Parts: sequence; C-alpha cells; structure tokens
Amino acid sequence: MAQMMKRRRILQVAAGLPAAIALRAQNPYAAATSGKPDELPKLEAIPPDGVADAQRKFCTGIQLAALKRLCDMVLPRIGETPGAAEAQAAEFLDFILSESPTDRQTLYRTGLDALNTQARAKQGKSFAEVDAATAAEILAPLGKPWTYKDPAEPLTKFLRTAKADILTATVNSREWIQVVSQRNRNAAGTSIFWTEIA
Amino acid sequence: MPSPLHDVVIIGSGASGAMTAYQLTKKGINCLLLEAGPNFDYTKDRQIRAVYDLPYRGFGKPGRFPHVTQANEFTAALWADEKQNPYTFDPKDPYYWVRIRRMGGKTLVWGRASWRLSDYEFKAKDHDGYGDNWPVSYAEMAPYYDQCEPLLRVSGRIEKLPQLPDGVFLEDKSGDSTSIARFISAAKQKGIPTTKQRRAQGTLASSANLLLPDALATGKLTILPNAIAREVTVDKATGKANGISFVDRRSRREFHVRARVVVLGASCLETTRLLLNSKLANSSGVLGHYLFDQFYVKNTVQAIVPEAKNGRAPGGLMGGTGYIPRFTNLGLLGKAKPDKDYLRGYAVDFSSGGTPDPKYFPHYGEDLQKALAAHTNTGFNATTMGSVLPRFENHVSIDPVVKDAWGIPALRISARYSENEFKMATDAMNTLAELCHAAGFEMLGQHDQMVPPGESIHELGTCRMGDNPKTSVLNKWNQTHDVKNVFVVDGSSFVVGGSQNPTLTITALAMRAADYMAEEMREGSL
Ligand SMILES: Cc1cc2nc3c(=O)[nH]c(=O)nc-3n(C[C@H](O)[C@H](O)[C@H](O)COP(=O)(O)OP(=O)(O)OC[C@H]3O[C@@H](n4cnc5c(N)ncnc54)[C@H](O)[C@@H]3O)c2cc1C
Repeated sequence: MAQMMKRRRILQVAAGLPAAIALRAQNPYAAATSGKPDELPKLEAIPPDGVADAQRKFCTGIQLAALKRLCDMVLPRIGETPGAAEAQAAEFLDFILSESPTDRQTLYRTGLDALNTQARAKQGKSFAEVDAATAAEILAPLGKPWTYKDPAEPLTKFLRTAKADILTATVNSREWIQVVSQRNRNAAGTSIFWTEIA
Repeated sequence: MPSPLHDVVIIGSGASGAMTAYQLTKKGINCLLLEAGPNFDYTKDRQIRAVYDLPYRGFGKPGRFPHVTQANEFTAALWADEKQNPYTFDPKDPYYWVRIRRMGGKTLVWGRASWRLSDYEFKAKDHDGYGDNWPVSYAEMAPYYDQCEPLLRVSGRIEKLPQLPDGVFLEDKSGDSTSIARFISAAKQKGIPTTKQRRAQGTLASSANLLLPDALATGKLTILPNAIAREVTVDKATGKANGISFVDRRSRREFHVRARVVVLGASCLETTRLLLNSKLANSSGVLGHYLFDQFYVKNTVQAIVPEAKNGRAPGGLMGGTGYIPRFTNLGLLGKAKPDKDYLRGYAVDFSSGGTPDPKYFPHYGEDLQKALAAHTNTGFNATTMGSVLPRFENHVSIDPVVKDAWGIPALRISARYSENEFKMATDAMNTLAELCHAAGFEMLGQHDQMVPPGESIHELGTCRMGDNPKTSVLNKWNQTHDVKNVFVVDGSSFVVGGSQNPTLTITALAMRAADYMAEEMREGSL
C-alpha cells in the first residue's frame, strides 16, 4: 500500500514538470530557462514520508513489528479514514523514540517486549503474529478507567502512553489530514508557526 | 567619549517594563529599554504551517523543553532555551520555570485573564492573621487599575463582588449557553458566585503592540534588543546605582550603560537573579525568599453534558465559559476560625464544548472512534487556580556552579506546596464534582493533582514590598529600601497573590511606580 502511494506521488511530481521545456524557441538565451533571472521563486517540494522508507532507528525488528500491530489496533483504517498504518505512525514513533529521553525509551522498550513475552506465553508467537482475540486479551489494560496518576503497572502505563502517541502521530499525519479535512475544514492541522531566533 | 547618561534604564519589555516605559515617556522622561531577546517582525517571524510539514509532526523535538508543558512544535521558537538558560533545583522538588526571551516577553502569548486583587489580598493578614499585609491598599491601587484596563482593552461585566472588584470594562453582553446556565444555577444553590471572564481583547494583547508603540511615538524611548543585563552597577562613592552592564546576545560583546535611575522588569525570577548577582538590595536577607504563585489543578473535572451526546445537542446547549471567584474564608477578621480547614481560597475557570480527550475513554480501535464521535462537542471542563501561601522557605539563590551561555550565574530554585494548598485542591475537586452532578453532567474524570510549582507561570514574591526595610526588599513605591534609585516593577514585588492571575496588578503597580519616579525626578530627589 505504502509503495503504491509512493509511486503515485512520484508520478504526480513527474507530471508536474513544465511541458514547455521541449518547445523552447531557437534563441539559446531565450530558450535556456523560463525562470526569471532576478527572482527566486518558491519551488514546489514534498517531505520525505510519502516517497521514501524511513530507516529503523530505535526498535529491534520484532519490537517494530509489535508496535505496528499495536498501531493498527489502536487506530485502524475505518471506512475512508486512514488509520495509523497509512500514517506510518509506527515508523514515525520509532524515529521520535530514537531522540527521546531515556525514561521514554525504556518505557517503550520494556512495553513492546512485554507485548511479545505475553504473546509467546499465550500462543507461542510474537505479538505481531498472534490471532486477534489473543492480541485483544493482551491489550485488556486499556479498558481500565482513566486515573490522573500514571498506573503503577508498567504495561498499563506503556499502553496508555502509546495510545496517546499513536493517535497524535496519526491525526497529525498528511495522510489523515488530507482525507479528514475534506469533510471538516477545522481539521486542516494548520497553526501559527514561530520562526527560530537567529 | 563616555556614553550618554540616560534618565532611566529599564530592563525587560514585557508587561512590567513596557508599562513603566509607557508611563515615564508620556511624562517626558528619556528611557532606554534593554531587552534580552531579539526584536521581531510580526509578519516575518510567524507563518501559517501545517502540522505534518513540521519535522516532528507536532510532537516537537523530544526533550527540548522538559519544563515548559506549554511549548509545542509551532511555538518552540518562543520559549527560552533551557540549555542556554539553565537553572537548577532539587530533583525531589521540580520547578517548571517558563520564560520567553523576545520583545514583548510573555505577553506575546499570555491568556489575558485580567482580574483585580481586593483587600482580601492587599490586607490578607487582617483577615486571617497569616503572613503580612501589602503596604498598599485596594483604594490606593484602584485609580491605576482604572487606567490599565482600558490600555489592555479588558472586557468583563459588572458583578459587584467585594472579593473581585469591578473595573473599567469593554462591556461583555454575551449570554450563557444552557449548559453553562445549569452549572451557574447549581453553584448559586450552594452559595457559590460565578462571573463572566475578564480578558484583554484584540488579535494581540501584548506590550509590544499595546504599550511600546505609544512610548516610542513620544520620541523619548530607545529600545535595545539582544541586550542581556548582567549586573546593576553601583557608584562606590554614593552607594547609588549608576547603570547596567550587559552582554550582547549574539556577539557576546560586553557593554555598560549609564543611568540616573534603574528599573528592573525582567520578570519575577530574572529580576531577582539580577539583584542577587549584583549583590544589591538585600540588607533584609529576604531577597529571593517568599516565592509563591497560584497552584493549578488543570482539568480538575472533565464531564460531559449527556443531552449533547450523538450530535443531538439542541441549539444553545453547548459553548461558553465562566469563572468562579474565590468564595471561601471571606468572612474572617482577625484570627477567627476559617470556614474551611485551610486558609484563603481558590478560583475556577470553566468552559462548555469540545470533545473530551481520548484518554478519558477506556477504549481503543473502532470503539474509541465511536466513543469520540458520540461525544463530539459534549465536554464540560473546569480548572482550579488556588492561592499559595507566601512562605520564607520557598526561595531562590545563585547556583554556585551553573552559568548560562553568557557566563551569568544561574538560579537555583527551591519551592514546594504545603498542606494548605493540598487541602484546598482536594476541596476544589470535591466541590466541582458536586456542582457537575447537580447540573446534570456525567463525570468522566476528576483529580486534585497540582502541576509542579512554576507551571502556572505566575511566579511572584521574591523582592517583596513592605514598610519595614528589615523584612522586605521594596517600599510601597516598588523602590528598593537599600538603593533609592533602583526600582523593581515586576511580580517579584507581590506580598500576597490570591487566586487571581497577576498581570493586571503587575501593570497597575508598574504604572504607579512610574508616576512616583517621575515626581521624584521632577523634584530632584532621584
Ligand atoms: C502561556 C501563558 C499564559 C498566561 N496567561 C496569563 C493570563 O491569562 N493572565 C495573567 O495575568 N497572566 C498570564 N500569564 C503571565 C503573564 O504573561 C506574565 O505575568 C507577564 O508577562 C509578566 O510580565 P513581566 O514584565 O514581569 O515579565 P515578561 O512578560 O516575562 O517580560 C520580561 C522580559 O524581560 C526580558 N529579560 C529577562 N531577563 C533579562 C535580562 N537579564 N536582561 C534584559 N532583559 C531581560 C525577557 O526577555 C522578557 O522579554 C501567562 C503567561 C504565559 C506564558
């Protein structure tokens, strides 16, 4: 799916190339470029997510597979609305985690490992591979009522944190916003950005 | 050739420094204003961007602002960088110091809630016997509040509550939604008053657009950005201040400016740091002590209005905001028994509308999305802001080791809340839950956990005023007892803060101090 989207994006970009290049007039100076010599126009460009695969930076392969499964369960595709998978939330969180303070990294590492350990204990497979009912059983702590203080139990704490992060990584993604903003103009995801101080 | 002698040098371009500049220049006094941060170009420094175009998808660079919960990726450039501007504390007692180093200071983004203090604060000791009174009364402050509200364009409604004096408002004639009216009625039945919000209006309500342009227009103000004050310098012969030494933020060149009068408005803790580093104005030994703020219990209650579920809200049910002013312990005189098991009281901001945060729903996947859809625009939410008792032991000092990026010794902050605040927070939670039930709302969550000291961004008290030079840093005119030509105009002068947001009072005090300064300068006493 992601590959298809990338291909489509590349084709879109290619199709946008000025067709007039081939039809340049004879005068080599007039024909050299349609750009204005005294101006720097804003060039249309894209961010990397849509056309390139993010390199794994934090999780092990099996941890990332567990995170992807968790993402898919927390926010699956619903009808036309993309889910965490289309938003590549797991890959994005892997990057964020690679730059995060140690306590956050530890929370995720131990949490993802706990998902795999429980899955193996229940079905002899990794969390990514267990059947839906078993995966749901493992996520049962997400059904506990909210408390202000972090839960003492590490898996519950991890799942709560991951739930919030997965939702944010998805609803702030280009994939999600492009679809949802068609229905609701308030979901454009724009705001005032302050430029860094020189 | 020596640099010119300025009438007044002012440190800081936020609410306090800018108000002082506004008032002094109006009276024809030449002012030089030093601002640590850069000047800004409103159109160039801000742009509309989509969250998915930001490198961290709105999460912000992890770990960049461990103590600024208000920061996000859009506003990251606003907040003082904690690596360049470090401070220390005991990890057991974290302090969240929130700073902005740009022209306009924190008024670039303040929430604009603008309340007057009353004699329940100015004369707090007379009511409950705790601590000290301010050396000024509400009657002395009222004329300055009267002038500041129109300058800040404060909207509000006349409410006639003694604990929350009315002001000169842009009249708020808005009605209340049915859900807000239900909450107000539930509060009334318990004898709890409610009011409209009082807020500065306008697209921007910053010192940089409301105060500094007029001050510049007098031709009497010079603004010097990127100038980080290092020390107030003193003439050894006279014992009076003779200017400020500062370092250029970008080049790190060192400079000195000369002035007849020095005014510090660098915000409560930066001003205190500057005085401590200058080894000045501390014959009392209380400089840096009595640090307090308002404690916040954010989202003390999160409820929903059941009739609004599944998109069925009738028109006019949802939306709107309101405020509960302090209502406890108002009857005290002398050392009579308080009507609660704590002293003083708290205020509450409440609002109706919006969708509750997904964390309140014990679901995930499609179930969560269904729950969120069913609860769109059903929310009712209230945040508590409680008064904190000023206590000597909550204090700041100069860290013996750590320095900022310009070699200026950093601050060490030592503050924690006391039993009085914890009891108040619990009472607020229980009261708000009761009101929500009485209003027919369903509770999703309630708690009484305060954010760490500092996070309310209302730090106050470390250069307190008083009539007695042995127990206070400033006299009633914001003038240091020890050095007559040094004034402190920010929130560090507060003696008691109450539950009201402080900025309106900071500006009123700065204006009053400027009037006094101008008069003293005219008479030649300064
Ligand atoms: C998100 C947010 C919401 C808020 N909401 C409210 C509200 O609703 N109501 C309310 O009453 N208050 C609110 N406040 C607090 C309010 O902004 C402050 O009380 C007010 O700005 C204080 O004014 P000040 O002049 O003391 O400090 P600041 O506004 O912080 O200005 C101080 C200035 O001094 C400069 N400075 C510091 N050190 C030096 C130095 N060494 N040399 C030179 N310059 C220096 C700084 O760069 C800064 O520009 C809020 C604040 C924030 C951040």
